[in-house]
Amino acid sequence: MRAVIAEDLALLRDGLIRLLKAHDIEVVAAVGDGPSVLPALLEHRPDVAVLDVRLPPTFTNEGLLAAIAAREQLPDLPILVLSQYVEPLYARELLADQRGGVGYLLKDRVMDVGQFVDAVRRVANGGTVMDPEVVSQLLAKRVRDVPLGRLTRREREVLALMAEGRSNAAVGAGLVVSEKAVSKHIGNIFMKLDLPPSDDDNRRVLAVLTYLNS
Amino acid sequence: MNEPTDRRETASSRRVRDRIGRWTSLVLRFIGGVLGSKPKGPPRGTWSEIARRSTSFGVVVALLLTVIWAMTGAGYFWPGWMWFALVLPVAVSWGLRTALHTKVRRSLAVHAVISLVISSALIAIWLLSSHRHFWPIWPILGLAVILAVHGLLVPSVSRSREQVLAERIDVLTRTREGALDVQVAEMRRVERDLHDGAQARLVSLGMSLGMADELLDSDPDAARRLLAEARTAAGDALGDLRAVVRGILPPVLADRGLAGAVQALALASPVPVEMTVELPAERLPAPVESAAYFAVAEAITNVIKHSQARAAWVRLGQTDDLLSMVVGDDGQGGADPDKGSGLRGIEHRLEAFDGTVEISSPSGGPTVVTMEVPCARSSPKT
Repeated sequence: MRAVIAEDLALLRDGLIRLLKAHDIEVVAAVGDGPSVLPALLEHRPDVAVLDVRLPPTFTNEGLLAAIAAREQLPDLPILVLSQYVEPLYARELLADQRGGVGYLLKDRVMDVGQFVDAVRRVANGGTVMDPEVVSQLLAKRVRDVPLGRLTRREREVLALMAEGRSNAAVGAGLVVSEKAVSKHIGNIFMKLDLPPSDDDNRRVLAVLTYLNS
Repeated sequence: MNEPTDRRETASSRRVRDRIGRWTSLVLRFIGGVLGSKPKGPPRGTWSEIARRSTSFGVVVALLLTVIWAMTGAGYFWPGWMWFALVLPVAVSWGLRTALHTKVRRSLAVHAVISLVISSALIAIWLLSSHRHFWPIWPILGLAVILAVHGLLVPSVSRSREQVLAERIDVLTRTREGALDVQVAEMRRVERDLHDGAQARLVSLGMSLGMADELLDSDPDAARRLLAEARTAAGDALGDLRAVVRGILPPVLADRGLAGAVQALALASPVPVEMTVELPAERLPAPVESAAYFAVAEAITNVIKHSQARAAWVRLGQTDDLLSMVVGDDGQGGADPDKGSGLRGIEHRLEAFDGTVEISSPSGGPTVVTMEVPCARSSPKT
């Protein structure tokens, strides 16, 4: 697997390269500022891009804007955005094009190497990975408005884990229910959120988006 | 008070001052020797030091004269003239200093003090000379009439401006103190949060790593457990640091400005918040932006905590030089700044920018908090 990474702090950049390399993910380019991101992506067409939100020259949300711009030119490019903090607003913007292959994680998650590499692979395979922090911030909201209000508590739990990018099997393991029960819950969620029948991956993204937009 | 005078004085005035200082000091030393007290301070000094010494010298002389008067039969109280000469300059300097410190109608205050001193002096002269005909009444009446005319004429011209300035100074003094208080309190909070949070966790992380290092060979399982603990501590420390940073300057505010940051607040609010934003693309000055953000955040927090509202709305707007933020809800109302519901905090935050807060919250609701901050933009539109 080939990756392009954008991280301005040399310490973290080198760490990321080493970490990904140790798990058979080749870093074909590592850039250190916002304007270099898009050219590097266009040149290398990697399997996944791992971008830091805060990059020179503005040190604000350069990386996020670069990710959104890159998705317009390379619609199927999977992008994982890393940040020192997560903001549900940014998660919503990243998911706005309603395609999979998007991740948004706290940098802290790098500490759990196994899970982090797993997240990179899931994004590369078209999955959606939201940081549990984003999900919990949204869970803290009392849900009383439609259409999320129609979901049962268990269905909301399933949706939250889905938003983190877990597979049906992983959701089942997390909630200690069978995988079959999970797919039944997911079917109900799709129905209650009025999501039209289409391929499963896309509906999952739409469900998460509804969740983020609530 | 003396410093600027000293800096401006000429060489000749310094020479005169030094000479006077030396002489008074010599005389005082002589008197001090006679009376058995020790001379104080070096022979040179500032004008106020000289004034102080001359006064004490005068008091000693007057006391001596009074003693002589008492011993020589206590007839006509001639040392009174000495006392008079002593009290007059002290009264003049004290009165003028007081008058110059008044904020409103200073010229009138000076005039009043001068009239008062002259009148008192005349009465003193009358007391010391003959008690018969009270002649000072005429000059005193004259002075009073002049003062009255001054009092009637001057205010209509200059009072308004002086009063406006004086009130402005009062407001600035108060709000500056308020702003500094807020700042100090914030710093203290940040320090405490770092100390109790991230710092403590990093210490614990270091301990776990140290212990894991020791156990690596003898008990690999225990070492692994400690490493897992260390990782958790690192994650928690990062979480603490994030919370501290959010309290100082929320990253989304730095990234997106007021509109974006308030939108993020609305998104995170458990009470649905409807947003109306009519702000120019141009960013506000950073301090105003930050104060405005925290004010809106506080208002939304109040809605969530106290209002029991089902819905809230936020309206951000800006005319040429006034930023207005209105936060409303359909809750139970009855918000009272005196009940410590954070509304005072909003007032203090905005006061430093000459901002205002108005709260309409009848019992039973709805509550509307209107906040306004003047914001002269750095580059005015043409």
